Amino acid sequence: MLSPKSSTLGKQLSQYVCVRVVRMDDVDVGLFDRDWNNTLYFFMLNADEQIYMRYGGRDAASPDTYLDLSSLELALQQGVELHRQYLSGGAKPVARPKAIFPREIPLLVQRTFQQRQCVECHLIGNFQNLQREQAGILEKLTHLYRSPDIKTLGITLDVPKGLVVKEAGGAVQAAGMRPGDRITGWNGAVVWTFGDLQYVYDKVDRKATQIQITVDRNGESAVLDISLPARWWWTDLRFRQSSVEPRTHFEDRALTDDEKRKFGLKPEGFASQVKYVADLAKVMKTHDLRVGDVIVGVDGVESDEFADTADLFIKLRKTPGDTAILDVLRDGKRMRMPLKTFRMNFRQ
Amino acid sequence: MKKRLPGFLFRLACVAAFAGLPMPAQDDSVYWYSDYREALRQAKQTQKPIFLEFRCEA
Repeated sequence: MLSPKSSTLGKQLSQYVCVRVVRMDDVDVGLFDRDWNNTLYFFMLNADEQIYMRYGGRDAASPDTYLDLSSLELALQQGVELHRQYLSGGAKPVARPKAIFPREIPLLVQRTFQQRQCVECHLIGNFQNLQREQAGILEKLTHLYRSPDIKTLGITLDVPKGLVVKEAGGAVQAAGMRPGDRITGWNGAVVWTFGDLQYVYDKVDRKATQIQITVDRNGESAVLDISLPARWWWTDLRFRQSSVEPRTHFEDRALTDDEKRKFGLKPEGFASQVKYVADLAKVMKTHDLRVGDVIVGVDGVESDEFADTADLFIKLRKTPGDTAILDVLRDGKRMRMPLKTFRMNFRQ
Repeated sequence: MKKRLPGFLFRLACVAAFAGLPMPAQDDSVYWYSDYREALRQAKQTQKPIFLEFRCEA
């Protein structure tokens, strides 16, 4: 037995009422909102359903990049302290978010309840987005590119220690963050765990150019003004499987400024080089791109406010089912080719 | 590609498997409720905080 009551984790868990939910059918997904592509996620809360903190979160590299038994123990310890403060009246209750139940998402109901299938977490995210798309309120930067990666800001955490910074580079280094700092606040919100941090970071307006991070350094608190880099919100979506449309069935990389000059292309353009073509592209005859092709434009457009590659431009600007016309450089010759997109079966 | 259960998830799954089955508490194991409403009632009664796990095959 790995965690008897006498173990450290067992002793900590014994201070809680532990509950495991494996079906989301009757869960208030408004209260327990999160990135729905996490396999495992925890909340610490009280009987009044006041949430103290979250524990979870992942990145594209692995589902457990930010999960660790040591940091979980730290979180459990902190949760008990927050609960003590709550019971003694030292913590203000926060307003409960609007309740949302899976049965209120019509497309999800059709796909799950009506077919006697389980409401899996990732389906909630997928169908919330599909519902938003149909209502014309889908914001791709926010709803598809969930959970921006803190590494883009230059933050590498010392994961077993919770929110202690192991390495600070790029934007956060420029703002004064140092290894050993402990992150305690994110844009004004108190954060105890990576789950908290990732959740509040996800709430930042994608057009924001600055955020504030509060750190504890040797017992002193400091607020750092971070200038957000271009495309700070971008995250690798490959692990999200069915959450992203349209699928392009290729991967590319942005050309460097030197490469753009060499090809006589505009420096602000999203010209990109194809580095991978999925077999499915051939099977479904979606396009005829080859590795090494340079995509210069899509539907005559060569630059975009947000996209730095053709793949990103298509994902952000096209709707599943659209056909786009690609301007492609292959072996020094310019050519045009169609790229067809499809709506995934479960979304049709 | 071979599917593997990452380290943390594996260890936690073991904890869950041994300590977390929703069954009458053993003396030496942590009891896990499977009913959220029941856990709320229990938390109210005992004044304990709640540790809520969502586990999905995402």
